[in-house]
Amino acid sequence: MILALAIPAVFGSLLILGSRRIRAVIAGWMALAVSVATLAATVTTVGARSGRIEITDRRIDEWAVGARFATDTISSPLALLTAGITLLVVVHGMRHRPRGGSAGLFFGLLLLVEFGALATFWTRDVIGFFIAFEIVLIPMWVLIHRFGDDHDRAARRAAALRFVLYTAFGSSVMLVGILALVAHAGTSDMRLILGAGVPRDVQLWIAGLLVLGLAVKVPLVPFHSWLPPAHTIAPTAGSVLLAAVLLKMGTYGLIRLPLALTPNGFARLGPGLAILGVVGILWGGLICLVERDLKRLIAYSSVAHMGFIALALGTGSALGLQAALIANVAHGVISALLFFVVGGLKERWGSVDLSVVRPALRESWPGLGVALMVGLAGSLGLPGLAGFWGEFLAITAAWNPTSGGPAAALVWLQGSEQIGWFAYSPLEAQYHVDGVQIWLDAFTPDLMVMRGLAIAAALGAVLAAAYSLRVAKLIWMGNEAPRDRSGDLSPVEAIVTGVLVIAIIVIGLAPYLVFSGASLVGGMVP
Amino acid sequence: MTGPIAVAWALLVLVGGAPLILGAGLVSRRLASGLAQLLALVAAGLGVVAVMGAHGAYTLPVLRTAPPGASTYLPLFPARLATTSLVATIAATVLLVVLAVQVFAASYLDDDDRRPAFQATVSLFAGAMLLLVVSRDLVLTLVGWEVMGWCSYLLIGHWSRKAAARRAAYKAFLVTRLADAAFVIGIVALIAIAGSSDYGAVVQHADGSRATDVAMTALVIGVLGKSAQIPFQDWLIDAMEGPTPASALIHAATMVAAGTWVLTRLAAALHSATVASWVLACATAATMSYAAFTAFLQTDVKRILAWSTISQVGVMLSPLAVAETAVDGQGAAAGHLFSHAIFKALLFLTVGWLAVLAGSTAARDLSGVGATSIFATAVWGLGLVSLAGVPFTVGGLSKEHVIAVAAWTDGDGPGLRQGMVTAALLVTVAMTAAYATRAFLIVARPRTVPGAEAGPAPRTGLLARATLVALAVATLAGGLVFLVSPLDPGHLDLPLLGVSVVLIATGVLVGLRLRPDDAADPAPLMTRASRGWGADAAYVAVVAKPVLALARVVAYVDREIIESYVRAPGWVVSLGGRTGVRAHAPERVSTDLLWVVLGLLVMAGVALWG
Repeated sequence: MILALAIPAVFGSLLILGSRRIRAVIAGWMALAVSVATLAATVTTVGARSGRIEITDRRIDEWAVGARFATDTISSPLALLTAGITLLVVVHGMRHRPRGGSAGLFFGLLLLVEFGALATFWTRDVIGFFIAFEIVLIPMWVLIHRFGDDHDRAARRAAALRFVLYTAFGSSVMLVGILALVAHAGTSDMRLILGAGVPRDVQLWIAGLLVLGLAVKVPLVPFHSWLPPAHTIAPTAGSVLLAAVLLKMGTYGLIRLPLALTPNGFARLGPGLAILGVVGILWGGLICLVERDLKRLIAYSSVAHMGFIALALGTGSALGLQAALIANVAHGVISALLFFVVGGLKERWGSVDLSVVRPALRESWPGLGVALMVGLAGSLGLPGLAGFWGEFLAITAAWNPTSGGPAAALVWLQGSEQIGWFAYSPLEAQYHVDGVQIWLDAFTPDLMVMRGLAIAAALGAVLAAAYSLRVAKLIWMGNEAPRDRSGDLSPVEAIVTGVLVIAIIVIGLAPYLVFSGASLVGGMVP
Repeated sequence: MTGPIAVAWALLVLVGGAPLILGAGLVSRRLASGLAQLLALVAAGLGVVAVMGAHGAYTLPVLRTAPPGASTYLPLFPARLATTSLVATIAATVLLVVLAVQVFAASYLDDDDRRPAFQATVSLFAGAMLLLVVSRDLVLTLVGWEVMGWCSYLLIGHWSRKAAARRAAYKAFLVTRLADAAFVIGIVALIAIAGSSDYGAVVQHADGSRATDVAMTALVIGVLGKSAQIPFQDWLIDAMEGPTPASALIHAATMVAAGTWVLTRLAAALHSATVASWVLACATAATMSYAAFTAFLQTDVKRILAWSTISQVGVMLSPLAVAETAVDGQGAAAGHLFSHAIFKALLFLTVGWLAVLAGSTAARDLSGVGATSIFATAVWGLGLVSLAGVPFTVGGLSKEHVIAVAAWTDGDGPGLRQGMVTAALLVTVAMTAAYATRAFLIVARPRTVPGAEAGPAPRTGLLARATLVALAVATLAGGLVFLVSPLDPGHLDLPLLGVSVVLIATGVLVGLRLRPDDAADPAPLMTRASRGWGADAAYVAVVAKPVLALARVVAYVDREIIESYVRAPGWVVSLGGRTGVRAHAPERVSTDLLWVVLGLLVMAGVALWG
């Protein structure tokens, strides 16, 4: 685990520091080697039950802030996703590097983002979580600002600034929540906070602050307006990392902080979160029906998909948690594929304006066409592909919010094998975590409200079909006879999209791999 | 090999075969086509094995959220396939129709450069339908259901160089997907009631409670969408833009029949749900007669068949809504599903053949085409005889069974629901005979007006011809299956049989009395009917336009209002900054001094006060 964290951090910094002296080819190969090594180290960490680091010193401060890291079934799929996607982005960047700066800088930034994301997923310290969370922002800002769309300088600057300021604002709200939590619990160790017995009403408002802060990052409507410009302007690598990694940090944060640490407060906020989620599903879906820029369209579809995750988490049930975890990973691979394809189209066409009439993709570039259709089918939740399970389970959980007991119990207590369809735990009980007692309230959200939300979410899935096929109709089926058949997938693009297509199909056919692949790790290590 | 293992292998062959066919297409089109036919043959063979083999259940190792054998506390998603003799019979029927379609497509699409993609999609489509037929689990059913919808999108839009095909594909998917929202809710609600997605548990827990009724009503709405019943009927007509083998597949044994099958599996639950039964009874009664009437007025032969499918699926679904016992409804619905699969596959493949001869499927062009091919005219006639329900053809047997089940009661006289459906069935019988007669006459009667130039003789190979012969034989003799299989013909009601013979004869007379030149010169009424009475415009006005208007409003709010509070802090800060800069500008030294003096005064005042 130390390797998985240290390798990208050290070499990423080296690449940035030496960016002017290292030749582009060397930087590329070095980044490739580093990301392969990181992926290997991540797989080992996830697979070998060895992931645990604890470096703290009580003499420094009374809260014992420190570097605590551990893996479990909740974080492992996301850690693997991060390392895998970074590798693909690096491979893609070796041939399709955006203009705007040196190769060393570009790859260095990618690796730093990877480091920050991995640290976020593995940390077991709430202050550490905040720090790791923020580390990602700066390299991402530079990526958008320096390497973004080179047509419009002002738009690039505006998008990058909005991204960094908006999410930093969200983080500061989250920081207030974290500090309050630490002050009440007297420690920043997640495991100890749980047993510290923070009173219920305090849990409620701390959970509120945390949810509000993380809602910006996720993003939930109405805090989403930084996402579309950031996605539109960012280079392909940036868009992919944003969608596949950064948005995951937001939803992961919701699970790891408010849901797990202030469960009784979070349960009461659940219906509100679910409502925001469903508003997001409909909101994003409707805008996608009329949006003209394909990159913005996919950004809004991300808002809709994140809505499903918020709905699932808002049910507060074990089933909802399972839905959220699958949906998280599924959205990671599907949106990565879509952004690779759309980035490729933008490279070829100069823009991805849907109102421009272009030759049909299925006729001119069948390879890109297949990749696009798999992405769109995944996006509309076609069964057999990754996107289906998260959406279907989210609706199931919303219809029947008591199924499977409280989600918080699952985060901390259940062994990995119980994560499967409807993991069961008693509804209201005392639990023991490493000898510490915690108490989870029985809280059932209003049944009629949740069922209404389930119906609205099902209709939102219809919108997803409408906008996905709108794109398919305009681009894939096309309006015009092909002029030029050359320029289909380059070998690098073929590898990258091929890997993602296979991942989407495999997760779709065997969704349990998301857990059991990771649960080779063994139990939940709080 | 036991039944469930055989169908699991068939599933693997069909689904896993799809990418293989696509890959083979990169090498050679002939290879891909041969592979597609071979795989369909293997799957059909496995289907026959499944009918013969012992029946039981099999747990799928994939499509699960927990790995097989994992100790979840509640095994609520068993992901099981199971066969009974009824399930295996329907599965085999589906696989045989798929084989016929694959063989026919190989020659029909001979000059299509995307034939491998088409045949790969057919293979995947068949796999999805097979999964739906043999699944014993609501979630697996949903998987098959949705994948089939997606494949139908690809097949209908296969000729995407035509704008009409692109629109038809989009419309088909969206209309059915809208209904699927209700289908998903129905499934989710049933799972919530039963605590499991297994059919056995679901049926066991369906006790006629309000919750069951709500769930089944939602499910029925989803079925109405996929089965093209009112108010979702119009997508199936546009779907005629797809190649004829795709139409044969969608109409005969898959897609539109899938809803009947799902409700057949859940017949006991449906039987206990009053509202759901009423919804289904009203929708099917209205649809079957309305669609039969509309079919009579079409100016395009392929559209006659499309409307006839809508009408016949209504017939198929109706016993489930009104049967006195759940088992009766099941037998009648499954029986008509079986016979409709055979004669409709025959009719569609034949009309594809005729269309090659005539150059189009419009009635005016097909008029008199029968003179060119006695063989095609003969099989066309046989298919229509079965469609019209002439006694002892396969269609006739199953239709009589449906009528008998709908009308039969346990002694207390037919209720309102039964009466309504039986009346609609009898009306439909007469009208079906009428439009079948007309469809035959269009082809068989000598041409009276000049139509399009006849095309060259179809390049349909020997295999395609053999396929038609096999289907024609099955149409005549398929009724024998009823004697040996679980598709029990049930109570045959002799008086009702007499009534329907009279009705068929009446219908044939009406068909015969039609003006001979109607195919060439359609009346205004026929033109309107050919446009589906404007249902498409209604869809646009009632659903598409409002949703798009709402979308524009949302996009406006997103751009102008959500943005405003994001920009507001920026304005405030930059305003503050500018004010600050101005306040501290060098030429304002005097002002600054004034502030300093004022500040000192205030401090002094505070100090003195203190």
